[in-house]
Amino acid sequence: MRRVKVILAKEWSEALRIKMVLFSVAFLPLFMTGFATYLIWQGRALPPEAQAALLNTALMYFFILPVVIPLSIAAYSIVGEKEQGTLEPLLATPVRDWELFLGKALGPVIPGLILSWAAFGLFLAASAVILKGIPAGVLSLPWLLSIFALAPFLALFAVFVTMIVSSRTTDVRAAYQFSSLAILPALIPLFVYIGRLTAVNLVFVGIEAGIVIPLDAVTFGIAVRLFRREEILTRWK
Amino acid sequence: MIRAEGLTRKFGDVVAVEGLSFEVRKGEIVALLGPNGAGKTTTVRMLSCLIAPTAGRAWVDGHGIHEDPEEVRAVVGALTETPGLYKRLSAWHNLRFFAELYGVPDAGARIERYLRFFGLWERRDEPVATYSKGMRQKLALARALIHEPKVLLLDEPTAGLDPESARAVRDFIAELRSEGRAILLCTHNLPEAERVCDRIMLLKTRLIAEGTPEELKRRLFGTRVVVELANPAPELARDLDVPGVKALQVSQGRLYVEVEDPRRTNPILVRKLVELGAEIISVREEEATLEDVYHELMEEADAAG
Repeated sequence: MRRVKVILAKEWSEALRIKMVLFSVAFLPLFMTGFATYLIWQGRALPPEAQAALLNTALMYFFILPVVIPLSIAAYSIVGEKEQGTLEPLLATPVRDWELFLGKALGPVIPGLILSWAAFGLFLAASAVILKGIPAGVLSLPWLLSIFALAPFLALFAVFVTMIVSSRTTDVRAAYQFSSLAILPALIPLFVYIGRLTAVNLVFVGIEAGIVIPLDAVTFGIAVRLFRREEILTRWK
Repeated sequence: MIRAEGLTRKFGDVVAVEGLSFEVRKGEIVALLGPNGAGKTTTVRMLSCLIAPTAGRAWVDGHGIHEDPEEVRAVVGALTETPGLYKRLSAWHNLRFFAELYGVPDAGARIERYLRFFGLWERRDEPVATYSKGMRQKLALARALIHEPKVLLLDEPTAGLDPESARAVRDFIAELRSEGRAILLCTHNLPEAERVCDRIMLLKTRLIAEGTPEELKRRLFGTRVVVELANPAPELARDLDVPGVKALQVSQGRLYVEVEDPRRTNPILVRKLVELGAEIISVREEEATLEDVYHELMEEADAAG
């Protein structure tokens, strides 16, 4: 795990120096927090049941944030190394494929989660001030589990898919375009919530976790297997 | 330290390297010379386990490239064709990253040593994007050395450097040899190869020739003796019959004689010339350059197809 941490630290050092990445990473949580808070402000005069429904809807934004934030960094991860010409020296070190992939995946996921949770806390604090307390039944255990336990695995899934794309495409723009598709599986639970196809209860969260966690493991395995050092070094121009 | 046996690499139908066998011993610098597309980079990539050979085997410090790729990478320091540095990061960050990947103990002191040696210490915190081409090349060389590798694979180490820096790097490479490292140096710079390397391998997909620069020159051209004459006469070339002379020619007041063994032939040559009435102003040996050898062998390889 030592090399995973080293790659993680390098990814952060580099990302902190790219203004565009900083902007795209910081903008979305700020925008979502502002927009969700505005909704609550608009509904401050509604009856408590309606306020609770409004708050529940707003919570969904914070469920999807950790999935969306890391994608721009993840798309750049492998193809960006190739574009800079740094992939060959990197691959000439004793780093293993899985270490490289995990380091590069955790690089964008961890700040994405921290920012999302910070935005979530800010939103809750603002809502509590506006509504003079959080309506009963809003912060249920299934919701909290979804945001704090399930979202990281959904984020990892989206990042693994994006990195597969990044290691198979030859330029950054193509990686960005294809990576937007990686978010789709993460939207499925949201469609279920929005369509009221089932209640957000512990059973549903358990089923989701039972699908997403093994899916993460499988996707990670596929990502590592599909990473062909030779092909990347000899065919990418 | 490096041993290759029948290394072959094909890309589809294109053969990049064919049946390459060689050895680089501890404390030896061997140059890999050849034109673009000769297979130098492919060879270096196979030896650093970046690509697998289609056929053949190789060992680096006793580790097989097939069996132990991670061990091979741990003992190899590779300088790639392009510096390949993280341009947004500083020199310090670049070296720190690679030092940590290799698990270098006391990385800070070693980074400082190399940054100071290459004259980059004062600008260690500036992004590499602001560096000149030469500074980047030096930093890439420092990166290749940061884990004190036993084997160095250097692709054009002095490319882009000013003459002073290039000389410092060459001296440094020679110093690395004295530390017992095995160095394979790919270069187009023939004088550099001649100056720094113990042996030279000429590659054009296949290994065309191998030997010390002197061996290669003698094998191909022997030694040329230039005799400056006060009374050059074309018939001298016809009348001169000396054992050990391979070829001779009179041109612009000079007699050019190719001999196999100058120590044995030169005294006889001078005596015969005097006997033939030649008035000798000077006699000196003129060796073929490595460039002559290179071109001759490449032409032969082209002719052989």
